[in-house]
Amino acid sequence: MRQALAIGHNDLRLFLRNRLSLVWLLVVPLAFVYFMGFANRGPGDPANPRPGVLVDNRDRDYLSRALLAELGAQGLTVLDPTNRDQARRGIEIPADFTERVVRGDQGRVRFFTLAESGLDASALVELRLVRALIALNSHLIEHAGAHGGELPDEAALEGLRQKPNPVSLDARFAGRKPIPVGFALSVPGVLVMYLMLNLLVFGGAAVASERRSGLMRRFLMQPLSRGALIMGKVYGLVLLGAVQVAVFLVLGQFVFKVELGSELPGILLTLMIYSWMSASLGVLIGSVITSEDKVTGLCVLASMVMAALGGCWWPLEVVPESIRTLAHFFPTAWALDALHQMITFGGGFAAAGSAIGVLVLFGLAANLAAVKLFRP
Amino acid sequence: MPLLEVNRLARAFGSVRAVDGVSFRVEPGEIYGLLGPNGAGKTTTLSMICGLLKPDAGDITVDGVNFWTDPPRAQGIMGVVPQEIALYEELSGRENLEFWGRLAGLDRSTAKARAGELLAALSLADRAEDAVKKYSGGMKRRINLGAALMHRPRLLLLDEPTVGIDPQARANILEFIRGLCVGGTGILYTTHYLEEAEQLCQRIGIIDHGRLLAEGTLAQLQERLGGDRLFVAEGQLAGARPDSWPGFRERFRTLQQTERQLTVAALGSRDPADCLRDLLALPVHIENVTVKRPSLNDVFLQLTGRDLRE
Repeated sequence: MRQALAIGHNDLRLFLRNRLSLVWLLVVPLAFVYFMGFANRGPGDPANPRPGVLVDNRDRDYLSRALLAELGAQGLTVLDPTNRDQARRGIEIPADFTERVVRGDQGRVRFFTLAESGLDASALVELRLVRALIALNSHLIEHAGAHGGELPDEAALEGLRQKPNPVSLDARFAGRKPIPVGFALSVPGVLVMYLMLNLLVFGGAAVASERRSGLMRRFLMQPLSRGALIMGKVYGLVLLGAVQVAVFLVLGQFVFKVELGSELPGILLTLMIYSWMSASLGVLIGSVITSEDKVTGLCVLASMVMAALGGCWWPLEVVPESIRTLAHFFPTAWALDALHQMITFGGGFAAAGSAIGVLVLFGLAANLAAVKLFRP
Repeated sequence: MPLLEVNRLARAFGSVRAVDGVSFRVEPGEIYGLLGPNGAGKTTTLSMICGLLKPDAGDITVDGVNFWTDPPRAQGIMGVVPQEIALYEELSGRENLEFWGRLAGLDRSTAKARAGELLAALSLADRAEDAVKKYSGGMKRRINLGAALMHRPRLLLLDEPTVGIDPQARANILEFIRGLCVGGTGILYTTHYLEEAEQLCQRIGIIDHGRLLAEGTLAQLQERLGGDRLFVAEGQLAGARPDSWPGFRERFRTLQQTERQLTVAALGSRDPADCLRDLLALPVHIENVTVKRPSLNDVFLQLTGRDLRE
């Protein structure tokens, strides 16, 4: 075991010492994340869009402040005129808004269109604006009904706003799942593609190169079992995969703003199982094919085919059923199924369990084949 | 008890019998040379001894225990220096030594300490932190040797460890190996360099076409040629048939004949002056006769009819 760890740590040291490895491990994949995320961007965040609304609030009294709070609660991002470029639509609250309502007259809020904004955005903003107004009115009516027609002051109104609604609506996506787009597609997609590519190429080429240079023969001259040697080689590649995964997840969360949230342990587990599977496949290819050039060529080709068919380049939700079926002959599709469940679909670890299970089976098959066919 | 005992070892690749019934033993503190031309079966024999290849037949006993009873135990006793320079070129000499020491079973701190000792002993301390790819051929060979010595093996197998390096670097390595032998390490040394075998090895086995043709000390091998003298006659020898000359076969054994040269060993304990007279009286025109000490090449020549240097 100690020897396997030494082999793995040594391999990681060798990989990381090679500058070209770092380019393929980090620089190129992250550039791909950006470009693929940009090319596959959707109309907005598919899970919970919060369109911006420009608010020109001329009223300084408490009812306009309560309305603004309600707009936020209803899923609008309230923007002041300095952030006009981020707004889809605008509203104007007149200076006498609170005064008119308190007096018992109708207070009017003006909804206006921004010249540079599209029409499709208005429906969502308008809907949420109406919901905010209804909510504000219902709080006023509730207080008036309980206090002989008297309107609430600011503290009482805030108290009413904070009360849980007696009726709530749990809205979920019905029928088909939302389609992952933008960086929610490209971060897991490119990571799955490049984990496979790098672990296959680095693993296969390293084994082939070490066989050519006589290092493999030297390994077998040591008091070291064949199993420990293979374990060490796979372990080194899994460590390399872990480096790539860590960098991707940190940048995915904080730079590309892909919400990993509470599913991080499940996502990590999925990616580590996938790395183990890819590493075993790399060692297997290096055992079967002797030439480093052939190993590299085959690994690049295999990775690209599996990436394209497996849903790394576009969401499988947009391809025909037959392609979706074909995709699931490859581990890439199962890895992405698991990751999208946890990152985009909100299914959690339980929903990703079956895909992770299939990945484990792929890993076992690759590992057993590597052990069986390993040729030093 | 010998450190290594090889008994009737055999291995074939298809119809080619690479090693055919080879037997020898290596004692503690002894350098045993396995001498033969390229393709003679030296590396195949060594590969079987260190567990890289399984023999088709025969036994390998390391420190009294059959190798295949417990390969890791036997591999822990031996250190193997492969013919190729099997090192990580991107790593420094020290990192290579420490890594191979860890694989040989040393813990991190022991490997570190031992690497320092070996780098000093191999005169590489000042280049210890440089990447191996920046080393000369001789320096790489020394690290290649050092990597096999990290765990202080009692038995060292060296497969042509001086191939492709300059004479000075070769002399340094041979000197280092002599030092190991003095310390009690048993050494199996394969080579096709006659001079190395003559200078370094206490006993020598001559191998060709997979068979061990002769074995013994240098003196014992020389004795096979009839003592410590050979006679080289030069003259017009094209078409000559020495064995048909009257009395020749009873007095001399032909080792080699070319159009200009005839190398013979005298049979029995005859006076060299008599031998010279006999040769000058041969029924061909002899221009010159010289006397020389038999070399391992002459032994090989006598055993195979071929020159080891061919």
